[in-house]
Amino acid sequence: MSTLSGASATARAGASTDRRLRIAILVLALIGVGVAGYLTYVHYEGLKVLCLSSGGCETVQASRYAKLDGVPVAVLGLLGYIGILGSLLIRGELGRVAGFAIALIGFGFSLYLTYRELFTIKAICQWCVSSAVLMTILAVLTAIRALREEPAPA
Amino acid sequence: MASRTKQKEEARARRLAEEQARAERARRDRRLRMIGGVVVLAIAVVAVSIAVSSGGGTATGLQTGPQRTKTVAAVSSLLTGIPQSGATLGNSSAPVTMTYYGDLECPICRDFTLGVSGGGFPQLVQNEVRQGKVKVLYKAFETATRDPSVFKTQQVAALAAGGQNRFWDYAELFYRQQGAEGSGYVTESYLQNLAKEVPGLNLSQWESARNNSAVANQVAADEQAGSTAGVQGTPTLVFTGPKGQTAIGTIATYPQLQQAVKKVS
Repeated sequence: MSTLSGASATARAGASTDRRLRIAILVLALIGVGVAGYLTYVHYEGLKVLCLSSGGCETVQASRYAKLDGVPVAVLGLLGYIGILGSLLIRGELGRVAGFAIALIGFGFSLYLTYRELFTIKAICQWCVSSAVLMTILAVLTAIRALREEPAPA
Repeated sequence: MASRTKQKEEARARRLAEEQARAERARRDRRLRMIGGVVVLAIAVVAVSIAVSSGGGTATGLQTGPQRTKTVAAVSSLLTGIPQSGATLGNSSAPVTMTYYGDLECPICRDFTLGVSGGGFPQLVQNEVRQGKVKVLYKAFETATRDPSVFKTQQVAALAAGGQNRFWDYAELFYRQQGAEGSGYVTESYLQNLAKEVPGLNLSQWESARNNSAVANQVAADEQAGSTAGVQGTPTLVFTGPKGQTAIGTIATYPQLQQAVKKVS
């Protein structure tokens, strides 16, 4: 009897940790949607924006690294954050692993873009950096979620 | 009897526990394999993305071989027969002047000049400029070029070609072989190579014009004029004609250019 109730207490604790992780991922991914959404908006408006005499964001957005095979990286980021949000809706292991996969790809690509900003474009866009930070935290949180024991269904 | 039942029960419990442990291990293994797969997949996707992102565009700018020949021919066919004087393209008595504030390293200026992303400049040159209705005066305004000394050097190189009435040949060749922004592609050899591509340019005259302080002063004067005119970015186009002045502060399409010309003429 005592072992049984112990196991269910562990499961409850696991479920509540998972809930907390899910909420944290939800909040961060929503902020990410905001940042990437703003950058996407600016990018499409930016087709008309000029080369400004100052400002790192314009430089970064106007550089050839702002697009991946013609697709603005802001759009890719937006899709990534939406994908992570979507993965929260999928129950069980599939959702957790999918969220981790998307966040890990996002993290890797953010790492590369930050490198390009620092060493090739030599200009820093605060929006892009904040997105990179969000992706990094999301990669860590989704990794924890994917690696944890399956929480018993409450 | 009782002890046998008990033994049976114990054995069953042990089996159950073992089975549970095995199932647990299998689940953990499966999860680790899945996560390993995800990591490999992520690395592959990122690697492909990086390859796509780094490839393609010309980081060094300069073209070679048949591509270079094609570019030189395209510039020639655009400009041949249109009078040039210094940084001015078109008939000096054309009623409308379009002052083009630009930075040779600015990708949006490139798009405008080459007619990419809706830029209407080539059509303006082929029609209004060729017909003598509009002349274009290029003025330097630093935006995309990060290093002011590089900005000055490249602009002086173009203006030095203007000393032989070939400024626009040089600028067009520059835009057509513009490298990746901020990659430091504008080197002495880059500028020299462009000069060699300009048909009929006397290289020793060009070299001596590059050291002419009047040419350097022109760059500073252009920038000053831009600041006075309130230019904030490039390309900025200011149209001056008999009916006054109008400006376009975006990458302009051909209809927009025509409208601006009409407004001041």
